[in-house]
Amino acid sequence: VIKRHFTKFAAVALALIGVSAQAATPLQLSSDVFVEKQVTRKDGSRTVVLEKPNLVLPGDNLVFVVKYRNTGTATASNFVVTNPLPSAVAFNGTSDGLEIVSIDGGANWGILGAMRVKQADGTVRAAEHRDVTHIKWNLNQPLTAGAEGKLIFRGVVK
Amino acid sequence: MMTNQNAFQRPESARFIRSGLSYVALAFASLAVATPAFAAGTLAGTDIDNVAEATYDTPSGPVTIQSNMVRIKVDELLDVTVVTTDPGDITTAPGATGNVQTFRVTNTGNGEEAFRLTGNTVVGGDDFDPALTQIVLDTNGNGIYDAGVDTVYVAGSNDPVLQPDQSRIVFVITSTPVTVINGNRGTSNLLAVAVTGSGAPGTSFAGAGQGGGNAVVGTTGADADANSFLAVQAASLALVKSATIVDPFGGNRPVPGAIITYSLVATISGAGTLNNLVITDPIPANVTYQTGSLTHEAATLTDAVDADVGNFNGTRISVAAGNVPAGQTRTVTFRTIIQ
Repeated sequence: VIKRHFTKFAAVALALIGVSAQAATPLQLSSDVFVEKQVTRKDGSRTVVLEKPNLVLPGDNLVFVVKYRNTGTATASNFVVTNPLPSAVAFNGTSDGLEIVSIDGGANWGILGAMRVKQADGTVRAAEHRDVTHIKWNLNQPLTAGAEGKLIFRGVVK
Repeated sequence: MMTNQNAFQRPESARFIRSGLSYVALAFASLAVATPAFAAGTLAGTDIDNVAEATYDTPSGPVTIQSNMVRIKVDELLDVTVVTTDPGDITTAPGATGNVQTFRVTNTGNGEEAFRLTGNTVVGGDDFDPALTQIVLDTNGNGIYDAGVDTVYVAGSNDPVLQPDQSRIVFVITSTPVTVINGNRGTSNLLAVAVTGSGAPGTSFAGAGQGGGNAVVGTTGADADANSFLAVQAASLALVKSATIVDPFGGNRPVPGAIITYSLVATISGAGTLNNLVITDPIPANVTYQTGSLTHEAATLTDAVDADVGNFNGTRISVAAGNVPAGQTRTVTFRTIIQ
């Protein structure tokens, strides 16, 4: 009986530790997605606006925005942001070009241009945007207290 | 789904590259296997969920955090194509029934969709209007019209339901008016329209999409049609009769005892084949048929009804020339004596 109670207590304690660790996180990460919509102005000219979509269509251009912010008091180092691409989205580049990518589900990483894809007929071709499965940014400088920024990448609904 | 080649294994394509630099670059590249995708795009109703993850080091160790999840749903695109799979004009003949013209309807949208079919045979720019008998769905999927096996289409009752990228073969069955002549062409048209809706590209039907999203008309307008042509191949016959006279005195006067040689030339023109051509000619009054003088294509025929194709029954000659292709002639001759 005592043993069972102890186990239960330990589980509760562990859960509490988990919660407090979460609450103490000095970094916040948020994800947003926008869709590019062509709109026609009153004078007939066309422009592209970003909308917050609930529904999209194949071929729609999406803009993903990942915001980060150090809300703590300590400096965070080795800050790395990873974004697995939703399977229905084809990668279409980042705004800064500083990313490394994976085309195999996150097992291997590198610059897209150095990667190769084996095709069904056995031939090998250079990897393309559509092959990307994960995007990663290694931010080299330490993230001091209060520092914030955003990472932007584009995708197309397959 | 993805496999990796050993990073240090030399890729096939690098075998003939002599530059050491290129070799190193390729050797360290990871290899992934390409995966096929739907031509129509992501399936309607698919959720696109995005979560970013970050890791960083703190004095108490590495920490991993996740962002909020953003979810967007993929709408249904309504698109369709129709093509004829007939290799060219379908041959028909005056009064022919059961002309079969074949079409392929393909759902090029990204959701399951039913399509309403309409056959139209009153199309401008052709020589005649075939009469629409029925539209038949290739139920057994063999691409060939099987009368009584494939299901007759009834609009609104068995509209074909197609998955994205899926096709259905549809047969349009028509008949040809008796009044057509060789070389006439007639058009049959098959129209397919998405049941959910059609119209200008971009038109949206709220909540009508598969998976709970909207249904949006794609670039095809969610309707498509195609033409297939019937071409009449009809043979026609011209029969020309001529006579030459040889009198007993070496001249060509029609006197008693003179011999008249009649020549009947049947010329088949147009296209196709004229079947069961029979040439008959009554013997005129005041002349007597000369026994054993009947010929067909320069071959002598007996007068009796027997194995050969010709006979004389006392009042007329008759030659069964059989099936004669267009562009050919058949010549029958016989002799008579003026009484």
